[in-house]
Amino acid sequence: MRHRASLILGAVLVGLMAAAGLVSLAWTPWPLAEIDVLNKLAAPSAAHPLGTDGLGRDLLSRLMAGAANSLSVAAGAVLLGGGIGTGLGLLASAWGGRVEEALMRLCDLSFAFPALLFAIMLAAAFGPSLLNTGLAIAFINVPIFARVARGAANQVWVRDFVLAGRAAGRGRAAISRDHIVPNIAAPLIVQATIEIATAILAEAALSYLGLGAQPPAASWGRMLAEAQTLLWVAPMQAVWPGLCITAAVLGFGLLGDGLRDWADPRLVRRQA
Amino acid sequence: MIRVEGLSAALPQGQALRDVSLSVARGERLGLVGESGSGKSMLGLALMGMVPDAAQLSGRIALDGQDMTGATEAAWQPLRARKVAMIFQEPMTALDPLVRIGETVMEPLILHLKMRRRDARARALDLLAETGLTEPEAKMRQYPHQLSGGQRQRVLIALALACDPGVLIADEPTTALDAQIALRITDLLVRLSRDRGMALIFISHDLAAVARATERLAVMYGGDLVETGATAEVLANPRHPYTQGLIAARPRPDPAMIRKRLPVIPGTVPTLGDLPRGCRFAGRCAAELPRCAGTRPAPWPTASGQAACHLLEPAP
Amino acid sequence: MTRFLIRRAAGFVLTLLAVSVVVFAVMSMLPGDPALSILGIEASPEALAAMRSQLGLDAPAPARYAAWALGALKGDFGTSYAFRVPVGGLIAERLPLTLSLALGAMAVTLVLAPGLGMAAAARHGGPGDWAVMVLSQIGIAVPAFWMSILLILLFAVRLGWLPSGGFPGWDQPLAALRALVLPVIALALVQSAVLARVTRSAALEVMRLDFVRTARATGLPRRRILWRHVLPNALIPIVTIIGMQFAAIVTGTVVIESVFSLPGLGRLLLQSIANRDLITVQALVLLFAAIVVTANFLVDLAYVAIDPRLTGRQS
Ligand SMILES: Nc1ncnc2c1ncn2[C@@H]1O[C@H](COP(=O)(O)OP(=O)(O)O)[C@@H](O)[C@H]1O
Ligand SMILES: [Mg+2]
Repeated sequence: MRHRASLILGAVLVGLMAAAGLVSLAWTPWPLAEIDVLNKLAAPSAAHPLGTDGLGRDLLSRLMAGAANSLSVAAGAVLLGGGIGTGLGLLASAWGGRVEEALMRLCDLSFAFPALLFAIMLAAAFGPSLLNTGLAIAFINVPIFARVARGAANQVWVRDFVLAGRAAGRGRAAISRDHIVPNIAAPLIVQATIEIATAILAEAALSYLGLGAQPPAASWGRMLAEAQTLLWVAPMQAVWPGLCITAAVLGFGLLGDGLRDWADPRLVRRQA
Repeated sequence: MIRVEGLSAALPQGQALRDVSLSVARGERLGLVGESGSGKSMLGLALMGMVPDAAQLSGRIALDGQDMTGATEAAWQPLRARKVAMIFQEPMTALDPLVRIGETVMEPLILHLKMRRRDARARALDLLAETGLTEPEAKMRQYPHQLSGGQRQRVLIALALACDPGVLIADEPTTALDAQIALRITDLLVRLSRDRGMALIFISHDLAAVARATERLAVMYGGDLVETGATAEVLANPRHPYTQGLIAARPRPDPAMIRKRLPVIPGTVPTLGDLPRGCRFAGRCAAELPRCAGTRPAPWPTASGQAACHLLEPAP
Repeated sequence: MTRFLIRRAAGFVLTLLAVSVVVFAVMSMLPGDPALSILGIEASPEALAAMRSQLGLDAPAPARYAAWALGALKGDFGTSYAFRVPVGGLIAERLPLTLSLALGAMAVTLVLAPGLGMAAAARHGGPGDWAVMVLSQIGIAVPAFWMSILLILLFAVRLGWLPSGGFPGWDQPLAALRALVLPVIALALVQSAVLARVTRSAALEVMRLDFVRTARATGLPRRRILWRHVLPNALIPIVTIIGMQFAAIVTGTVVIESVFSLPGLGRLLLQSIANRDLITVQALVLLFAAIVVTANFLVDLAYVAIDPRLTGRQS
């Protein structure tokens, strides 16, 4: 019951954010970069439903564009890093022995570097930009997915139909592609959903620190940094972007929880 | 000591106990037998006020003269261990793995009997020795994982005896143990019951153990109490077809094997929701009459007790 | 037990070693020439070469690593390219602030979360449980830096009770403490949400176990069962998460120090990155990673203290 609610609420939040982001690519209530200094920090009105920012730009328009940036960077980074990590995990599982041992040790080691710190380092190294932030987040996801994929794949490799395939002389790559991947898809999708939530948080933090999106690009984290300088005059400027981040992270988190319980009903019953 | 009248336990999927009436006298040893899922544990738990939250109880329960019908958790809690105690089937997992044996047994002594630690320690040592645990002094300092299953069951018995309860409910105390240890634990329970004048409810599906340990027998099936009577009498001359089935199904030739196999009666035990409305045994019973599935048989007197079966109905 | 400890201690040292190699390697691969950033683009090639050799940059990489690692062992992290002072000094000066933040946030988390989680587990399925679950689900989704901004809005802008940022220095202890209140709370609230959830689910797992039924059958009061038997058995997953949380808090300070303009290690890290002060960045990243590895090692030690089954195999 609770898990059904998680799934629905998560899907609704994610759907809303994704829709806002998609629409912003084609249309926003106001042009994103239209500066109107005479009309800065305007109160909400029919023309500007959430008011305007310190440069007179329409807040709602910028939040929508922020959704597009945030979600695309987070999802893209998780897909890229998750894809590479899954590949490595499959490789480790298929080969076993030394290869597996070495790859997993490397993963262990990578967990000694706090993720955000690593992203800060990489973002700094390659210069502050949204693309580099995405690459840094992708990098962090590699060992996470390598570990999940390898663990799940190891459980599939010992199943009958895989053993039969091996006995029939099929190669490890072919078995991995045809049998392992479909059978480990569920945990990977769940993990990806949850990691997108983490990635949104990371992108927001990096952009807040000035290491992510650069002006005039709209980014929730960046908007919060700008709003912080105006706390005394325009407190609501600092509320909306944070709400958007929270809603997006909450949405993906709930969706991930709901999907996990849906994919593995055994867990639900154990908790009930 | 214990009096139960018309006790029923309704679970969402069906009745786990139906209209059970039973009493156990001071110092009496009662065997409770029946296949898995008959409701034996549910009855034991009801006597501890520990049925699962999902179960709705109705009927009367009196403990030592005290009416516990509809009692709350707060009302039951002080009676547990002091009036009724219970030990369970699986000794391997029934002890807190992080607490030393000594501390475990001392806990109720300090908490309920307000003993000082020193006295509680001495008392715990006595209790462990009484249950026949070897080297009790050393075992007091050990953790559960350092003990064998039989040793742990002895610890659990010592724990149950700590506050000198009037009744001990032993729910399949030997099922998880190997044959020899099981025999010793059974004998231990009988000895403790005799020495202390403590009533014993011995739940088992091992008829040989029940024959050895108890004076009176109650047979359960599908949440019903189908037959009661003196143990020897019921085993020698079972009146209810279900009891007859249980006894017949028990493997005879090799006494060491008896414990190993569950009794097998043709057909499978239906799930709670699928039980017939009348006699629960209808559908599996070899002597079934047309009215059995629809009409519940009343209990009829037998040589030393009662049996609920339409066959026993006096001819009109 | 000793074998377990020796294995873990060896793992700890090896991990630290590996971490230092990785940090060094990554930093060496980064673009940018320290000599250039020190002398500026107008410097002559000769001056640049001289500066490189003065910084030890012309030696081969293994030699440079050895020199750096040996120095680090003695607390000598080299001289900051940007500030022209020993990196060790820069760090030592800022460490107390960052440590106070991190330890303070950890302490507040440990005071808040386990109690909430246990209370929720004890009322499993009830309105109290539901409230804790909903609040913590939201708490996990709130970024710590937005939480900080909200706290500033309420307590600094609206109520004016606490400063919105800045640090007055340790020579004014009371003011220093006031400056740390909001950042500590911001860090702790988010982590408390995580820990309360973990505590709750770990406790619920334990509550299904047989020995809890034994404790109930022994007539132990509910509270005592929860605190004396359920909580200790739930500690293994809880302690594991606490270790990970300490790492999260330590990295969290980097962002939070920025929100509150606190001159700690995180600010130093961001400044050094902006200044291309690689040698300082290198030392800081090593330090942060070392804190994380140490936290994990302490968690391993805690396992041994919690669970007697890990200490011997007598059975
Ligand atoms: N917690 C519970 N929730 C739902 N059904 C239960 C629960 N405990 C027992 N039952 C059901 O009650 C019936 C009686 O079970 P039990 O008393 O354990 O039988 P026995 O001890 O004789 O094997 C069974 O059908 C069982 O499935
Ligand atoms: Mg049972």
